[in-house]
Amino acid sequence: MRTYEELFILKPDAPEEEMDQVIEQMSSVITSGGGTVDKVDKWGKRRLAYRVDKYREGHYVLIVFQAAPETVKELERRLRVTDLVIKFLTVRIDETLKRQEKRRKQREKRASRKAASMPPAPAPAQPMFTEEPVEG
Amino acid sequence: MAESRGRPGSASQRPTGGDKAVATQKKQYFRRKKVCRFCVEKIDDINYKDVKLLNAFVAERGKIIPRRISGVCGPCQRRLSDAIKKARNIALLPFAAEV
Repeated sequence: MRTYEELFILKPDAPEEEMDQVIEQMSSVITSGGGTVDKVDKWGKRRLAYRVDKYREGHYVLIVFQAAPETVKELERRLRVTDLVIKFLTVRIDETLKRQEKRRKQREKRASRKAASMPPAPAPAQPMFTEEPVEG
Repeated sequence: MAESRGRPGSASQRPTGGDKAVATQKKQYFRRKKVCRFCVEKIDDINYKDVKLLNAFVAERGKIIPRRISGVCGPCQRRLSDAIKKARNIALLPFAAEV
């Protein structure tokens, strides 16, 4: 089960129901393949940086989900076939999320260790100071 | 008597002006110690969806700013350029913008 992120652009002139229908279809593809949908985020209409299929605006939708690789292939095939979708991008994010978690934990550990072993000295120059034994 | 003066270009003989000494002849190569913005601010997540962040590293025409100008460190520059290319693919950033 890998975590993926799918960002796709729908045609701007499509009615709301049809857009929701497309999102439902994609979610069902994911769940029928044994995956779970974590988050569905609709960004709304946005100006595109360049013209795609004669459109200058598009409706962005982001889906974060967990699925097997075969499901992703099926999902992409469906997106390609759907008329309403003009562009899509699938990104695998489980490794990045893992790395970010690790970095964050390391940072927290380092910060807590620093706070415990080095109590901040109020006066800059102290001729005599007792150093407390650092407990690892 | 035998004074070992060392070879003429040895580091001990050369004045330790460092970069400034070279600078008189050619362009200065280290202007000032530029630090990687991501490492300093500890930004972990260089996401392709973060157009505001990416725009700071993209020139007027849409080209990616080189590392020696933006001051970004190696790994971060690679991640940044990956993110910019993904953003270009999904029409969040242009491939080539008109000035």
